[in-house]
Amino acid sequence: MKLQTRYNYVNLATTIVVLLITGVIYYQAISWILTRQKDKDLKVEEQEVFEYVGLNHHLPQIFESNDQQITFTEAKPGSIQREFINTDYFKKWGKDDRHKNHRHKGAGEYESGRGLISSVTVGDKYYKILIVESKVETEDLIRLIFTITIGVILLLLLVLLITNRFILNRLWKPFYNIMKELRLFNIADSREIPKVTTAIDEFDELNLVVVDMAAKAKHDYKDLKTFTENASHELMTPIAVINSKLDTLIQTENFSERQSKLLNDLYSAVSRLNRLNQSLLLLVKIENRLLHERKQINLRALVEEMITQFEEIFHDKELKVTYQLEDKEIYASPYLTEVLLSNLISNAIRHNYKSGEIVIGLNAESLVVKNTGNDDELNGEKIFARFHKSSGSEGSGLGLTISKQICENFGFSLKYSFEGVYHTFRVEF
Amino acid sequence: MKILIIEDEEGLRESIEEYFTGDGNVCETAATYPTALSKINMYRYDCILLDITLPGGSGMDILKTLKANNHPDGVLILSAKNSLDDRLDGLNLGADDYLVKPFHLSELKARVSAIIRRKTFDGSNLLLFNELTIDLLAKEVKVGSTLVKLTRKEYSLLLYFIANKGKVVSKNAIAEHLWGDGIDMANNFDFIYSHIKNLRKKLMEAGCRDYIQAAYGMGYKFTDQ
Repeated sequence: MKLQTRYNYVNLATTIVVLLITGVIYYQAISWILTRQKDKDLKVEEQEVFEYVGLNHHLPQIFESNDQQITFTEAKPGSIQREFINTDYFKKWGKDDRHKNHRHKGAGEYESGRGLISSVTVGDKYYKILIVESKVETEDLIRLIFTITIGVILLLLLVLLITNRFILNRLWKPFYNIMKELRLFNIADSREIPKVTTAIDEFDELNLVVVDMAAKAKHDYKDLKTFTENASHELMTPIAVINSKLDTLIQTENFSERQSKLLNDLYSAVSRLNRLNQSLLLLVKIENRLLHERKQINLRALVEEMITQFEEIFHDKELKVTYQLEDKEIYASPYLTEVLLSNLISNAIRHNYKSGEIVIGLNAESLVVKNTGNDDELNGEKIFARFHKSSGSEGSGLGLTISKQICENFGFSLKYSFEGVYHTFRVEF
Repeated sequence: MKILIIEDEEGLRESIEEYFTGDGNVCETAATYPTALSKINMYRYDCILLDITLPGGSGMDILKTLKANNHPDGVLILSAKNSLDDRLDGLNLGADDYLVKPFHLSELKARVSAIIRRKTFDGSNLLLFNELTIDLLAKEVKVGSTLVKLTRKEYSLLLYFIANKGKVVSKNAIAEHLWGDGIDMANNFDFIYSHIKNLRKKLMEAGCRDYIQAAYGMGYKFTDQ
């Protein structure tokens, strides 16, 4: 969710809640004030009745009025408590309300009203006075005031939202610019993130931090590259010496069978050490994205070439190789793609049994290398871990780790599954 | 052939020198940048084996000096850096080949022979070895006047053997030469055997002497002695 949207949501939610609360308070306040006003009117009316009774010693004549009704009822002396009540006001239809009269049965309708119950003694008789006034006008007034207020507030809110939108968009512009720069940032290339000055301190600071960070990352990356190269050089040189000494040693002739066996073992150990070192360096390079050369590659041609390359080895192990290849172009590093294919195919050979099967499939979605081998399913998580090896494997234990890294580097995924008798590795593009 | 070995690692330098000396080859060595620089300015070589990281300077600068003075010496870069940038830099500067450490001496010898063959190209593309005639352009092999049909790998193997004649070449080295070091089928070189068997059979059927000898189960030796 965008910050602005989120901000607007929160803003809207709080405004609405506050508005509702204010509305309720406002309504209560106005209605309290207006009710007090009504009560005052009622008291005046009561006073008039008292004065009339005091002067004339009989009950006043009851006049029909549009918004006031007074009734007198005889009651038991002392039974009436003086109180204000909310009650219904029965409004009779007037003459000009004739059209209403047609539509509604009855002589009028009930409206909400306010009443005052009081008592008066006329001679020896005790009367209950009920004065009721219609509250319709009051409520209409409240409604009107309330509506206008809500309207104004809503308008204000709308205006705020619109201005916020424009202002925020403008305010956040430097932020998006910095983001764009960051997205373009490539640790390996020489382009720097430009320093920009904005009117906002926070963004200036962010820009500064980003520029610093990028410079530091580039510096560290360069260090790392140097380290990788140095490590490579330092390790490769002694291995090269051992290798060349072995090559020289075998020229000296006259070896016993035991000696040649020892020499052979030395050779394979050195070549394993060499491959292990190469693999480690390759892994470091891939993980640090040091190999970023990319080309359009015809994967089908490359797979076919690989299969030809491995032909002797397939033949030697009497493996039955079947393949079905469709055209597929990928945009990737040719070197790494070759390493990936070579790793997958060598694994399919290495973990196969004599006269086993290898099935290679390529289509627009995926590249699949299946092989027969051990009957047990492999642990799909562990096999991609560094130095995870099946017992007796001659490999470096890095092959699948490298393969997975290469796939991730290109945005592909590498998955293992066990399908029937086939151990299946699937590269999904 | 006169060869200059510029390499700071003593062990490696000595092995290379020993492997290359003899059979009409003369080797000189240089262990530091200044020695190397003075040697290339004073003498001409058929091929210079050039290490990149040297005490006192970079091998790349030696290469630049050579090219700036239009010296025709063949240059093979020996580097521990298996990085594409370095390889391209080296080849762009005019090096003839680039070999990554560690390497087999037989591989180095084969590469150097190829460079020298190209440099001393004198109108004929023929490589002669007793009754064997190899047309390097047409990639044809003849025994006397009989054409021998070899596969790509067998042809490459034969050239490799001739470049390393008289030397024991290990199975490891042969495997890496033919399949590259990407294919690591350690301890399983049976498939090399079948290639050698076929090559031998084809050559002998065409009337060639049997030059390929197995050497103590470690490798093979191509020799006319």
